[in-house]
Amino acid sequence: MIRRRPVTRILVFAVIALALIWTLVPLAWILLSSFKFEADQFSIPPKWFPERLTLQNYAKFFGNSEFVRSLINSVMITFLSTVIALFLGVPAAYAIARFNWKHANTIAFVVLIARMTPPIVMVLPFFMIARYLGISNTYLPIVLALSFFSVPFAIWMMRGFFQEIPVSLEEAAMIDGCTRFQSLRRVVLPLVMPGLSATSILCALIAWNEFLFALVLTGQDTRPLPVLVNMFVSERNIEWGVMSAAAIITVLPMIVFGLLVQNDLVRGLTMGSSK
Amino acid sequence: MILFKAGSKGPAFLAMGDRMKSKQKTKGFAYILPALVFIVVIFMIPLTYTVVMSFLRWNLLRPDLGIKPAGFTNYVRLFTDSFTLDTVGRTFYFVVGAVLVELIIGLCIALALDTEFKGWKIVQSILLVPFMIAPVVVGYVWRFVLNSDYGPIIHLMKQIGFGGLVDKPLLSNPSAAMPVLIVADAWEYIPFVTLVLLAGLKSVPYEPYEAAFVDGASSIQRFFYITLPLLRPSILVAVVIRTLTSLRVFDIVFIMTGGGPGTATETLAFYGYRTAFQAYNVGFSSAINMLTFGIAVVFTILYMKIIGGGKNYD
Repeated sequence: MIRRRPVTRILVFAVIALALIWTLVPLAWILLSSFKFEADQFSIPPKWFPERLTLQNYAKFFGNSEFVRSLINSVMITFLSTVIALFLGVPAAYAIARFNWKHANTIAFVVLIARMTPPIVMVLPFFMIARYLGISNTYLPIVLALSFFSVPFAIWMMRGFFQEIPVSLEEAAMIDGCTRFQSLRRVVLPLVMPGLSATSILCALIAWNEFLFALVLTGQDTRPLPVLVNMFVSERNIEWGVMSAAAIITVLPMIVFGLLVQNDLVRGLTMGSSK
Repeated sequence: MILFKAGSKGPAFLAMGDRMKSKQKTKGFAYILPALVFIVVIFMIPLTYTVVMSFLRWNLLRPDLGIKPAGFTNYVRLFTDSFTLDTVGRTFYFVVGAVLVELIIGLCIALALDTEFKGWKIVQSILLVPFMIAPVVVGYVWRFVLNSDYGPIIHLMKQIGFGGLVDKPLLSNPSAAMPVLIVADAWEYIPFVTLVLLAGLKSVPYEPYEAAFVDGASSIQRFFYITLPLLRPSILVAVVIRTLTSLRVFDIVFIMTGGGPGTATETLAFYGYRTAFQAYNVGFSSAINMLTFGIAVVFTILYMKIIGGGKNYD
């Protein structure tokens, strides 16, 4: 690195400081609101730090069976769609990375188009088909719909990780008598473990945060957290406290998981075009 | 930046005979088949269904009218109605605004983070947080902080003398609602753009800077003549991906404005949604969604071209 001049340093810190304020102010407000009493929510001028804080908003959330149900639904939907994504996506990624095909480009294009299709294009037919089959109030339509996005995602992301493993390692294993499947399981998979965990966390992130499909394809018994958050907002009198607690509960797991894999984020989200 | 390694070079097979190669291919197919079948079925069936519906006159609220073939009626209505053009215009207003804001601010932050000061890793983690948050929650957060009565940001703006800007509640002001959506979207996606550009900056070679330094180029010259051109592939990737993902914007529109006030923030995705799930006109909605799909395909092909051509910069 070239040594920076003092002016540049000041500029750098000004940008960082502004960026931190911009990022943290809305977050801090929601976090603090989730610990405020109802009365303090509506104080004018707005109070950042009221005299008393409370856990009652969280207690309200966990005391309401409908809310807890949504949390469970979110976990189930996320888990199932991520498992499907890995189960289908990992072998496919391996094949695309390893085998020599004439139609590799076509396959890659189909996968990419599927990944890039706006959800709105898919949601109406999914809704009509689910209604026709009478499976509207089960996990099936929402899980399938989410897998539709996470399977291509898993393929693109894992493909890059597989390409980084030298082929010679596998050849050595196969010369020693492993079948290709054995060499995949015993040699390659342990080596791509970090990539695998990053991929599964990002698949989970996609499923956990998805809203449009969840809004249309889930019913009272299957609705996940984002739909619940939306229902709070559409009510006339927003209960900002409980709502903020719900928002924090919705975002917290994904922030924790997301930060664990931040180094692999870029690659996953640009479909392998930058490393 | 190599996309389809599988197609061209397979070092694995240099040592293998032709017979073995074709055997490997057949086996490889077994690995990819389940995923491919899944994608094609889950993708093709709904897509075909949308295409078929777009040629039908079908309103879920009027079962008495039945489902009738409509020929190109839906498309004729779509392309002759000036509202469609307005909606496409609004969508691109959002897309261009959001992508521009995110690119400029994201570039500034990426440049600042690239200096690797003490604690940059923690700063980077904090700055990344909005990106992990569900868009619905992002919409809620911004609705809250911009609430005209007890939102802290509005209060702050009034205190520092920008009260005139926020006299009316922002989200019910037709000319302010879309910029507010852009702000919320930028809050969520600036971290993404920053990350992509930062990765690009880290891979920029050192030598050109050395040479420029020796030649006495100013830091501004270095930025415009070295950094920016070398960063071009990363910028393109960030722009195209963000364009593709912001074209489908729905969540924050739904939760912050519901397309309003009036139709001031109604984007293509929201128009398609409203037509299907509020007016229950599934035929016409499918035609709208086909238009959205067409635009997405064009940008996806563009994206393929860009990352395919990015090899020169490796």
